[in-house]
Amino acid sequence: MIAFLLLPALLLLLVVFVGPLFRYAWLSFHADSVVTGLIAIPNGGANWLRLVQDQRFWQDLGQTLRFSGVSVGLELILALMIALLLDQRWRGRDVVRTLTLIPWALPTTVMALGWRWIFNTPYGPIDHFTRMIGIGSLNILGDPHFTWMATVWADVWKTTPFAALILLAGLQTIPVDLYEAVRLEGGNAMVCLRRITLPLLRPYILLALLFRLAQAFGVFDLIQVLTGGGPASSTESVALYAYWNALRFLDFGYSATIIMASFILISLICVVAWILLQIIIPTHSKSQAVVEP
Amino acid sequence: MIMNQIHFLRRILVSLIVILIASTCFGLVQARTTESVSFLMAAPFADATQDLVKQFNREHRGEIHLHVIKGPLETEAMSDLAISSLLLGKAPFDGLLMDVTWLPKYAAAGWMEPLEGYFKQNDVDSLATGAREGNSYNGHLYRWPLTADMGLLYYRTDLMEQPPETPEDLVEVSQSLQKKRKVNWGYVWQGRQYEGLSCVYLEMIDGFGGDWIQPDDNQIGLNLKPGVEAAAWLQGLIDQGVSPKAVTNYAESEALQSFKVGDSAFMRNWPYAWAELQKSDSAVKGNVGITTMVAEPGRSTATLGSWGLTVIKGSEHVDAAVEAIRFLTNDSAQKQLFLKSGYTPTQQSVFDDPELLQQSPILAEFGRALKVVKPRPETPLYAQVSDVLQRQLSSILTGEQTPRIGMDRATSNTNQILISAGDRP
Amino acid sequence: MTLQIQNLGRRVGKQWIVRHLNLQVDNSECVALVGPSGCGKSSTLRLIAGLDSVSEGEIILDQANVTHAPATQRAVGMVFQSYALLPHLSVKANLDLGLRVRGVRASERQQRIQAILDLVQLQDRSEVLPAQLSGGQRQRVALARALLRDPDVYLLDEPMSNLDAQLREELRPELRRLVLDRHKPVIYVTHDQHEAMAIADRIAVLHSGRIQQVATPADLYHRPETLFIAKFIGRPQINCFKPKDGAICAVRPESLFFANEGLPCKLISREWLGSSQLLYLDSPHGSLRLSCSTTMEIPETVHVSWHSSDEHHFDATTGRRLT
Repeated sequence: MIAFLLLPALLLLLVVFVGPLFRYAWLSFHADSVVTGLIAIPNGGANWLRLVQDQRFWQDLGQTLRFSGVSVGLELILALMIALLLDQRWRGRDVVRTLTLIPWALPTTVMALGWRWIFNTPYGPIDHFTRMIGIGSLNILGDPHFTWMATVWADVWKTTPFAALILLAGLQTIPVDLYEAVRLEGGNAMVCLRRITLPLLRPYILLALLFRLAQAFGVFDLIQVLTGGGPASSTESVALYAYWNALRFLDFGYSATIIMASFILISLICVVAWILLQIIIPTHSKSQAVVEP
Repeated sequence: MIMNQIHFLRRILVSLIVILIASTCFGLVQARTTESVSFLMAAPFADATQDLVKQFNREHRGEIHLHVIKGPLETEAMSDLAISSLLLGKAPFDGLLMDVTWLPKYAAAGWMEPLEGYFKQNDVDSLATGAREGNSYNGHLYRWPLTADMGLLYYRTDLMEQPPETPEDLVEVSQSLQKKRKVNWGYVWQGRQYEGLSCVYLEMIDGFGGDWIQPDDNQIGLNLKPGVEAAAWLQGLIDQGVSPKAVTNYAESEALQSFKVGDSAFMRNWPYAWAELQKSDSAVKGNVGITTMVAEPGRSTATLGSWGLTVIKGSEHVDAAVEAIRFLTNDSAQKQLFLKSGYTPTQQSVFDDPELLQQSPILAEFGRALKVVKPRPETPLYAQVSDVLQRQLSSILTGEQTPRIGMDRATSNTNQILISAGDRP
Repeated sequence: MTLQIQNLGRRVGKQWIVRHLNLQVDNSECVALVGPSGCGKSSTLRLIAGLDSVSEGEIILDQANVTHAPATQRAVGMVFQSYALLPHLSVKANLDLGLRVRGVRASERQQRIQAILDLVQLQDRSEVLPAQLSGGQRQRVALARALLRDPDVYLLDEPMSNLDAQLREELRPELRRLVLDRHKPVIYVTHDQHEAMAIADRIAVLHSGRIQQVATPADLYHRPETLFIAKFIGRPQINCFKPKDGAICAVRPESLFFANEGLPCKLISREWLGSSQLLYLDSPHGSLRLSCSTTMEIPETVHVSWHSSDEHHFDATTGRRLT
C-alpha cells in the first residue's frame, strides 16, 4: 500500500532526476556538436579521453574545489555564529531573523551585478575604502589573485543565511535542560558549545554542508555575471565550462561528459565530506558497549 | 485574514481564466483572417521597434499581424534562449534578431531559412558597404541587417584638436594629458575576459597589419608579428598606466562610466555610447568626438557587430516574415530608429540623407566607420575560437604570461579546435 | 550547612512568578515544594540554582549570599525532571564531564565515578548511552551526577514524575538514603502531595507564587492553614460543606463514620481502594466522600456523623483557617 502511494514520487524522481542522468551518460559516449550537424554519433570513449587530457577542465576543477571548500567552510562558521546569535532571546530578534534572509532571497544575477559595482575599480565603495585607509587600489575583479576571493565573498554573503537557517532549526531541537545541567556542573559557554551544541547539531551541520557543497560545486550564474570566468580564466568553474560547451559551442557530447564527470566527483566529495565530519565531530563517545538486552 | 487571502486569490484566478478565454477567442478570430508572424528580439530592440511594429500592423490590417516576443536584456542570455528553443525542434517564433557572430553556427546547425530568393542583388547593393558583411554563410544569405554596429574610438575634443591616428600617438597623447593631470587615465576599453575583448583585439591585430584568421589561406595569424604586437600593445597600455589596471574586468559599461565622468581621454565603445554621452548627467557632453581605431597608417578598422533579422527554418510564414523584415529595415524605419534610439542605419541612402545629416552630423562619422568594418572569423566554431583567444589575452593582460607565449598558445589551441572539427586538413 | 531564602521574588514583565518567599532548610533536611502546576515551585528551584535571575530578596547558602552568583559558581546539585543527560555521551562520559570541567585529575575522576556507579548500582551500564537505559536507570544516572558534584544543596525537580507508580515507590527510600546521607539541605519539588508526604521532613505548599504553609506532613494534614491546603493535601479529598455565616466547615472522608443518627445520606456509588473503600454519598448538605473498611456492608441509605474535633473551619472569603 505504501509502495503504491510512493509511486508518483518515484516516477517524478525517475523522470526529473534519473532520466537526464542516463541521457547525459549516454551522450558522453557520442559526438554531438555543430560539426556533426547536431546528430549524436557514437565515438567510443573519445570524449572521456579528451576530458582526461583537457588541462582547462582540470584547472576549472581545481578552481571550483577551491571555491567550494573555502566558501562552504566560511559559510558554516559564519552561519553557526549567526544561528547561535539568533537562537538567543533579545529585542528585535524576529526582525533581524527576517532581515538575514534577504541576501538569500535575492536573485543571484541581481546580487552579482550589485557586487560587480561594489568591487568596481575605481568607482566602487570598496576601492574608495581601500584607498582611503591607505592600502591603495586593489583592483579586486581585475587581478587573478583577488578575483576568486571576491567570488567566494559574494557567495558567502548570499548563502550564509541559508546555512544559518538550517543550523538555527537544529539549535531549536536541543533541549535547554542540557545547557542548564552543564552550567550547574560548572561548565562555561565554551564547554556548552563543544560538548552540547556541536555534537547535537552535527546532523544539521552535515545537512547544510552537503546542500551547500553540491550547490557551490555547481556555481554558475554568480561567476557568469561577476567575472565571466576571468580574469585569465582564474574564476572559471566546471559548471561554467559545461555550460559554454553546450550553449555557446553547441558541443553537447563533451558538455555531457563534463556534467557526468562533475556528477561523479561531487558524489565522491559529499561522501568524503560526510566521513570527515564524522571524524571532526564525533557523536558518540568512543568506547561504546554492545547494547544489552 | 486567511479567508481574505483565499478570496483574493480566487478573484485573481477567475480573472486570469477570463482573460485566457477572451484572448484565445480573440486570437482565433484573428487567425482566420490574418497571417500571424512573430519575431524574437532582445528586450532593448523589442522596445525600440514597438512603434514600427504598430505601424506595420496598421498598414497590414487583415493580412499580416506581426508580434514581437520580448527576450532578455543581455546578448548572451538572448542567445541561450534562442538556442534552447531551437534545440527543442519547432521554435515558437518565425524570425529571430541575430547578432553577427551567431550566424555561421546557426546556419551550420541548419536552423535558418535561406533568404537569397527574396533579397536580390539590387537589395544588397542598396546596403552601405559595411552592412553587406556578416549576412551570409556558405554562399547563402540568411540575415538582413536591422542596425549596424561597429567599434569606435571616442575622444575628448576639449583636450585635443585632432584624434591620434597611430597606436604610438594614442599612448603619447594619453601620457602627456596624464602628466598635465587633465585626466586620470588615457584610454579605457573592454579588457574583461569576454567577447568584447576579442573585438578590441581584432581592431588592433588588423591595425598592426595582421589577421586573426587570414582570409586567403585560412591560417591563424595570432602568433605572427602583428598578432603579438597587438597583444603586447594592449598589455603595455596597462603597464605604462595609460589604462587602469582594472581594465582587465572592464566591459562596455565600466569603460563608459570612466569616460562619462571625464576620467579618461579615450574610450573604445559601440555607437550606443554616443547617445549616453549626450545625456545631461554626462560630464563630457559636447566635448566628445568619434573616429575609428588607431592603427598603422591606412589600416584602421572597426569590428563589425551588427544585428539582423532571420527567418527560422520550418516557419510556415516565410513570405509574411520577409514582408515584415523589409518593413522594419526600410529607409523610413531606419531613420526612425536612428533618431529615436540612436541605431546606426544600414541603408546607404539613409547615410546620404542631407536632412538627417544636418539634424545629426555624427551620422557622417558612423558612416565613415562603417566603411572600414571588419567581421570576426566566419566559422561555426567562432565561439570556441574566440573563447580561446579571450583566455590567452586575459592571461597576457594580467601579466600571467608574455604576449609571445600567450599568442603561441592561442594559435595552437585554435588549430586544435579547427582540426578536431575537421575544418583543417 | 543551611539554605536560607528571604523574601525571595521573581518578576517577569509585570507578573510576579514568585514573591515573598521565606524558607529555611537545614542540614540533612528534606523540604518538599508542592503545589499545582504553575504555582512557582520549579521557578523557585531555578532561582536557587541560579538559572533565573532574582528580582528581590536573598538566597543565603552556608552563610554566603549567593543571590546574584552565576549558576556555574554555585555549588548546587540538581536533578532535572527530564534528567538532562547528554544523549551522545555514555553514562560514564556524562558523569565525567562535570568532574573534568571542575579540573579533577583523571585518576581521581575514574575512582569517584566507579564509586558512585557502585552506589547507584549501575556498574555494568557505564559504557551505555542514556537512550539504552530504562527510565529508572536514567534517573539514577542523573542523581549520580548530582552526587558527584558534592554540592552544598540538592535540588530535585520532579525527579520521579517520568516513572511509573510502582517504580516510584521502590525508588523513594533509595533516593532518601542516597541524598540525605550527604548531610546537606535538600529541596524536592513535586506536584504529587502523596510523594511529598512520603519523602519530606517538611512540606512547603505553594499557591500562585506564594508559600501558604510550611509544616511537617502530619501538621499539614491535621492543621491545614488554608482551605486550599486542606483540599490539596490528603486523598480522597476533604469534604467541604456549603458556607454558613461566612465560614466553611470541612471534614476528611476518613473522619466520617456511620451512626444511628446523624446526617441521612443516600449511597450514589463506591470505589474500591484495596485496603479501604470510598463511598460517594448524597446528603442534605451536598455530596460527601467517606472512606471506610472494605468489610462493611453498605445499605442504600445511611446516617453519617463525625467528631466535632475533626472539623476544620475556614473563612469563606479568604480561605484562612479559623480557630
